[in-house]
Amino acid sequence: MRGAIEVARRELGATFDSAIAYVQIAGFGLLANALFMNEFFLAGRLELDAYFDVLPLLLAVFLPALAMRSWAEERKHRTVELLLTLPMRTFEAVLGKYLALLAMLAVLLATAAPLVVMLFVLGEPDGARLAGGFAGAFGAGALLLALGGLCSALTRDQVVAFVVATVLGLFLVLTGREEVVGVLDGLAPQLAAGSFLFERVSILPHMERWAAGRLTLDSAAYAILGSAALLWATARFLDGHRD
Amino acid sequence: MIEVEDFTKRYGRDLAVERFSARIAPGEIVGFLGPNGAGKSTLLKSIATWAEPTSGTIRVAGHDTRTDPLAVRRVLGYLPEHNPLYEGMNVDAFLRFVGRARRIRGARLEERMAWVTNACTLGDVLHKRVNQCSKGFRQRIGLAAALLHDPRAILLDEPTHGLDPVQVAAFRDFLFELRDGRAILFSSHVLAEVEAICDRVLVIHRGRLVRDAAIATLQDEASAAGTTLEALVLELVRDRPAASEVHS
Repeated sequence: MRGAIEVARRELGATFDSAIAYVQIAGFGLLANALFMNEFFLAGRLELDAYFDVLPLLLAVFLPALAMRSWAEERKHRTVELLLTLPMRTFEAVLGKYLALLAMLAVLLATAAPLVVMLFVLGEPDGARLAGGFAGAFGAGALLLALGGLCSALTRDQVVAFVVATVLGLFLVLTGREEVVGVLDGLAPQLAAGSFLFERVSILPHMERWAAGRLTLDSAAYAILGSAALLWATARFLDGHRD
Repeated sequence: MIEVEDFTKRYGRDLAVERFSARIAPGEIVGFLGPNGAGKSTLLKSIATWAEPTSGTIRVAGHDTRTDPLAVRRVLGYLPEHNPLYEGMNVDAFLRFVGRARRIRGARLEERMAWVTNACTLGDVLHKRVNQCSKGFRQRIGLAAALLHDPRAILLDEPTHGLDPVQVAAFRDFLFELRDGRAILFSSHVLAEVEAICDRVLVIHRGRLVRDAAIATLQDEASAAGTTLEALVLELVRDRPAASEVHS
């Protein structure tokens, strides 16, 4: 796995060498925190529920933007040939890029630190719920990044990778909303497609469970196994599309 | 060191290389000559494990590219055709990344960095970004990355592309220094280059090996026929049907 660590180091170096990363982090932090503060002043409760409510949609848009260049750029500039003729397995290279993206996800979530500090200064919020919320957001983000990485491997065009990953990410999020479930179930009641997607596919119920302090094993398995399957698919695709 | 047996590569229905066999021993510098699109890069990519043979076997230092690609990559230095480099990195960081990915660390990495910096005369650009370097320097950066781990077999795809005549002469001397114990295969479509550098030449045309001979043998044949080496080689690559045309 040393190859994965070296790839992760290179990716992080390249990411933070560009102004884009700082713009993305600042944009995400400002938007998420501003949306929360608006709700916070209205509700006046010492909790981050409003933050965790808006987070899935923000992650579904911001994370594909982070992941879109990971393989599309390598394929476009042909550096993939350099990288994948180094003595490391394709999965190591995929994992390395993924680890770098997870580090970026951690930085994005860390932009909520001022909110957490504020809650603890103002009173005694439920620490376990906060931790669960961030763990759920990290798990969901990890899955969206693995999906973004796969979309990036499928094309040489970063914009196409971004659009496809965002659409799929929004699908995973929106199929967890009651109004969407209702509409889908209403379209074909005998199929109950909305309920099926809500229970088996959507990312949102898992995040909400964790944010409510219910750390369930099936939600952890959803994030871990789902991400692993997407990483495996990425490596398989790249191996299948050597020259 | 490098053994290619009955190698065939197809891209869909197109036959790129057909039943190609050759061996390159340690200490040999072999030129791979042929017009553009003849199949040179396809073979080099396959030896480097970037492409998989459709049929046939390729072994490097006894390791099969199909069954043990990681072992092949450890002993092989490869400069691909378009010399892909991470443009945004600085040269020093790029070479260190390649070194660490090849599990070279500590004092050994410093020693190899010093060697490639000196051998490829990269001292002036080591702290520049790759995308700020001239074409000649970029080619040398690619070469340095290919040689960083002191490989026993070296594949260079059009290595002199972008070098000026002085740099080409320096490159020739450099290859002579490198040859001890190493098998070197480099592709070119410039006969004079191959004649000046190589012991042996493999001529490929439209996916087929049309001649495998020592340079001295070809020179003798040209003299005996009262022609030039260039005319002799041109005759080899003239108007033969492509492998795909015969089999389609």
